[in-house]
Amino acid sequence: MSMAIETVNLTKRYGHLTAVDKLNLKVNANTIHGFLGPNGAGKTTTIKVLVGLLRPDEGVARVFGEEVSGDKPEVRLRIGYMPELPKFPKHLKGTELLDIYGRMYGLSEQQRRDELPKLFEQVGLKGRENDLIGKYSKGMQQRLGIAQALLGEPELVILDEPSLGLDPVGMVEVRELIKNVVNEGMTVFLSSHLLFEVQQVCSHVTIINKGVALVSDTIQNVENKIKGPITMQIEVTKLTEPIVENLKKLAFVTDVKTEGNLLEVLFETSEDIRPQVSETITNAGGTIVSMNVNKHSLEDVFVQLVGKAGETLGSEKK
Amino acid sequence: MTKKKAHANWTMSLLAVVRYELLWNIRKKKIIGVLILAFALATLTLALPIVLNNINNLPTEPNPDYVITTGTGLGGFGFFLFALVSVMNSISGEFESGSIIPLLTKPVSRTTVYLGKITAAFLTVLGAYILLTIYIAAGGFVIYGPQNNLHLVIITLLGSILSTAVWMSIVLAAGSVSKSSMLAALLGIGVWFGLNIASGILSAFSDQAWVMTYAPGSGASGTLGSPRPINQTIAMNGGVSTGTDSVASNLITYILNSTAEVTFFRIELRGGGLGFIRVPSYTESLSLVVARSLAVAIVYILVFNFIAWYALKRTQVAE
Repeated sequence: MSMAIETVNLTKRYGHLTAVDKLNLKVNANTIHGFLGPNGAGKTTTIKVLVGLLRPDEGVARVFGEEVSGDKPEVRLRIGYMPELPKFPKHLKGTELLDIYGRMYGLSEQQRRDELPKLFEQVGLKGRENDLIGKYSKGMQQRLGIAQALLGEPELVILDEPSLGLDPVGMVEVRELIKNVVNEGMTVFLSSHLLFEVQQVCSHVTIINKGVALVSDTIQNVENKIKGPITMQIEVTKLTEPIVENLKKLAFVTDVKTEGNLLEVLFETSEDIRPQVSETITNAGGTIVSMNVNKHSLEDVFVQLVGKAGETLGSEKK
Repeated sequence: MTKKKAHANWTMSLLAVVRYELLWNIRKKKIIGVLILAFALATLTLALPIVLNNINNLPTEPNPDYVITTGTGLGGFGFFLFALVSVMNSISGEFESGSIIPLLTKPVSRTTVYLGKITAAFLTVLGAYILLTIYIAAGGFVIYGPQNNLHLVIITLLGSILSTAVWMSIVLAAGSVSKSSMLAALLGIGVWFGLNIASGILSAFSDQAWVMTYAPGSGASGTLGSPRPINQTIAMNGGVSTGTDSVASNLITYILNSTAEVTFFRIELRGGGLGFIRVPSYTESLSLVVARSLAVAIVYILVFNFIAWYALKRTQVAE
């Protein structure tokens, strides 16, 4: 699989503060890759290096194999970037801005005529495209930010906190939009401090803290990296001793706790064990009323990796 | 799948930035305000002599040189004001508002962004000056009758643009380096006032007025023609300023009178009841004055534009 983003020992300092510290990041093409970390972790600094706004102090950053350090318009042609809380010139109308940006991306007049109305509709700004941006709310500017990042169908879309400033409906719409984007063959690099957002939208994730990448893999693999048993809560019509004994005999089960008709089964495996557990209970004469698996979440991984720093991390669920 | 697109060619990118900037300029309240002020002053310039003549029951004499000597109707401060409002926040304002981030992450080089911005500022000022010149020319024709040398109006326009471009470069450089529109404006205003005051003092009281010919603005003041008697009273008729603000008028004067000389004076306090008298300091040919002010203007434009461009090119956008 080709690499959309690659950094090798990327380091960026602001005076004595090391914002990004020897970061090695790999983002495969055609994936939605989450970039998760608490505030001040170095996410935006890394992104600003990738889009050419900052120069690295050490190391290398590449986009589709090309180094990004310095003023490289040919690399930026392949990138659509939405900054965190984007600000646009207030004197321009929404449609004027996208038209001008479209020209910068080399879109012909016909392409701009075709693409702009679609983008405004996609991001929910239809009917407001001829208003001055100065009259847009923060949420509308955020939507315009997403629209301009998708302009010209870039190969790599970098979104820095795309849900910030959006209302709950807008947040859901943005997540759906991002999922659709990758269907069209783009790579999305999504920076967020919202665990839920990354978990819902991304296939891969890199967790960063204090400028250092702590883990980078698929969401599934990252969740599996956490140590300790997973719990399964089962409610049966009548709890009997054979049910408990037979469950304890299963190889992956580490412990079984009981309370009334409730069973809590602790196990250590990443495989789906529900069929085996169900069969064991049924064979022991039990009848299952409900079964819930409490798998390790990204949040668990994050808390384990980042510790107290994770307290600043949002876990807002919409 | 994403569709492959051609890289926008350089001209298309440049025109996109020019469009981006022009749409801003024509909606800037500062620019509209200064344009209204300039038209008000031009109207006053045209109407005041008639009003005064009417009050004094004097006829308004035809003046076939009115348009060519009045030019855009703007003096040094007018050039400075137009320069200030057209560029004081074209780079720094973008940094202050944060809109520089989406702009600099588009597939357009920073050099193109810079060139687009100064082209738009140039076109804005050019448009304003053309309107003012047409207004003055039409008014001059109506009030003072048929005009001579109207073909030289283009020199007036180009010279005025060059004079304005000097101040634009200085303000742009200050804004690009400081990333603050306020600092750019304050620095520009400080330099303008400082140089004007220094120029007046040096021209009046020392032999060092020539120094001002290398500074932007009004420069040293001289008198057109041959050196006059040592006890001549102060008279500004036929006055010539050597600075970059006077490129247009000096060029016109040179074209109409290529052999003219400029004499520079200083003021001396003499005893014996003579009081203040003007003493000839030195004399230069007008051709030299014009050539030097052109060269000085071009050097300032190049140097300060380089500073502004380099600051934009090298800047890192952390905030």
